[in-house]
Amino acid sequence: MNFFKCPKCERRWQYPIRLCPHCLVDLEKSKSEKMTVVASSKAMIPTIMHPAVPYFAHIIEDENNNKYAYKTVKEYKIGEEIKYEPVDDKDAVAIWRIKYDISDAIKSTLQLLKIDFAENSKILILPTLVSPNHAYFRENTSPDFLAGVLQFLFEKKIKPENIKIAAQSFDETPIEASAQKSGLLDVCMKNNIAPLDIAKTNFVKQGNLEISEEITKADIVLNLSILKIGQAASTENIFKVLKKENYLASKYLYSETEIANELMGNLANTITIGEAEVIQRPDKLTVFMGLTLAGKNYLNLDRIFNEISMAKAMPKIIEEIRPENIKTVGREIKEVQYNINVC
Amino acid sequence: MYIKGVGMTKFDYSVKPWWLFAYDAAIEALADAKMNIADIDAIVFSSISSAAGGEHQTHKVSFLSDLFKTNVPIIEIPSVCGGGGAAFWTALHLDEYDNVLVLAAEKFADNKSDTVVDWILSAAEKVTEQTEGMLFPTQNALVWQKYMEKYGATMDDLSLISFKNHSNAALNPKAYFYKKPIDLEKIKSSPVVASPLRLMDCSLSVNGGAAIIISKDETDVKVIGSGFATDYLLTFGRQDLTHFKATQLAAKKAFEQAGITPKDVNVAEIHDAFTSVELISYEDLGFAEAGKGNELIRSGKINLDGEMPINPSGGLKAKGHPISVTGLAQIYEIVNQLRGNCEERQVKPEPKIGLTHNIGGAGGSVTVHIFEKVKK
Repeated sequence: MNFFKCPKCERRWQYPIRLCPHCLVDLEKSKSEKMTVVASSKAMIPTIMHPAVPYFAHIIEDENNNKYAYKTVKEYKIGEEIKYEPVDDKDAVAIWRIKYDISDAIKSTLQLLKIDFAENSKILILPTLVSPNHAYFRENTSPDFLAGVLQFLFEKKIKPENIKIAAQSFDETPIEASAQKSGLLDVCMKNNIAPLDIAKTNFVKQGNLEISEEITKADIVLNLSILKIGQAASTENIFKVLKKENYLASKYLYSETEIANELMGNLANTITIGEAEVIQRPDKLTVFMGLTLAGKNYLNLDRIFNEISMAKAMPKIIEEIRPENIKTVGREIKEVQYNINVC
Repeated sequence: MYIKGVGMTKFDYSVKPWWLFAYDAAIEALADAKMNIADIDAIVFSSISSAAGGEHQTHKVSFLSDLFKTNVPIIEIPSVCGGGGAAFWTALHLDEYDNVLVLAAEKFADNKSDTVVDWILSAAEKVTEQTEGMLFPTQNALVWQKYMEKYGATMDDLSLISFKNHSNAALNPKAYFYKKPIDLEKIKSSPVVASPLRLMDCSLSVNGGAAIIISKDETDVKVIGSGFATDYLLTFGRQDLTHFKATQLAAKKAFEQAGITPKDVNVAEIHDAFTSVELISYEDLGFAEAGKGNELIRSGKINLDGEMPINPSGGLKAKGHPISVTGLAQIYEIVNQLRGNCEERQVKPEPKIGLTHNIGGAGGSVTVHIFEKVKK
């Protein structure tokens, strides 16, 4: 967790603000490293936001005497440290809370999966861009989330010229219109990254699929899905690397599961980062959830998200995946489960 | 300023709309003041939205204008559980007006428990507290754990507070638990809600309304002290986890203004949203030294027949806690105690000085008011 401290008066904030309102000097950002439980209460009453009981609500304290609220389903003793062991599992899904700082949350989820990027990596980012709507509808990747991903990459010393942000329209809506209205084009411009229309790239045949050459040239593909209840949003987004005609034809010949699995075999360098800070319900209402998920297996990620959001129905492509068979790391499913459909 | 009239509905689970609770309380206060609505120069109102949203009304001041057929200024002051006290504090600062109606109404208990509790959760910080399970019972349970760790009080001390307040409410016709006393063993064995707090340590969310008319005209009850302070929303970001700084600051201001000390108070209504909050508040208000609050409850001095009864109305615990209404309901009780109108639960000898203490959230906004019986 991050905190912001005034170098002059030493007041501290958890909110990401710039200036100390008392001293009017820039705040210094610091990160809490070690978290120890200093008090713990076993909560027995379910609520919409916390439907699974019992759970434990703790006060935790870091090495700088900052105290935070923290929820677990596991019981901790007073004085015990809360820490997470990263896993090296291509099918695992990392779950983490966004505490105002998207970039920091992304960093944490990737650390939990032991994923790191070399400085000279060529990155292709595939944001969700499906309709010409303002960001608050949560149809498309949020500008803040894309900006957070870029901030994370820049902190890894990856140069803007090695980053491409690409998308493709599978319907009649021009991709430029969606990019402009969603606010994603602004993020590209502000960071000196030229957006790329995948439809205008060359495609190469890999097995039954025709994949954009840009994807195959990248060292890492970041599949930025904005997660939606009752959908396989990450899986649907990765289909955008295919030639539109090839995808539509493939759907007649094969199941979406077969296409998704073949694509996963071809794109081993893909990492999905799921945005779930504010998410869309099946009735299109948006609800705050405060999460991000990450993993190399987008089918697993979509299934875990639908488990967290307590989806009543989900696409066949993920329905048969048993969540108990998926390794998760970071926050536990029951810790973050939220009965969004009734709120 | 003086108290001219007071009114309060019974606290219950009736399904009247919020405005009818406001109306009933206001009519009672006007009758008590021997006034009509045309005598009122301004209204300060407090409420929060209902839990289910079925009565969602965000322009309540205009609704009240329509209800009372008046065009005077009406200000809405929401501050969750501390709304009533904050509205009263605001009204005291409206120097331009001779007669001000302070009003609060809630139809809050109108849905399943998980929905209502989830709505109350909205008074905690969203990103770092609500998501981490900081319901008000868990927040207060954690504060109480740190208190017990530091000072060595026990859960039995809290049971005594619950027992005291339930015993008092059983004598209060407007309390939810009127004529329904609860025995001590039942309190001690009630189910755990958020360890170590039990169900019988938690106040009761109910519906209701309350109204107070303040006036520049001299009456039998004078407001002699008023304090208002706030504190950080992030409960665990505060310096002292075991006490409520905002209560200490508001009390200091109110006592300074009144020119008296806590020893001069004869009766008090304290914000017992949780029994632990009542005990900690004994210390924050200056009725006990830090760490000695349990001695006060064990001594019996604050029982109805004690030296300085606390929560003779039954408190939030057993009279009921209709969120914004609570602060005004406390004033209603103290005014009636000072006037000697409380029949079976009347504090004896008749008190001269009374105090109210109203908290918003987990100590985030606090008002303290002191009232004096005026000799006529």
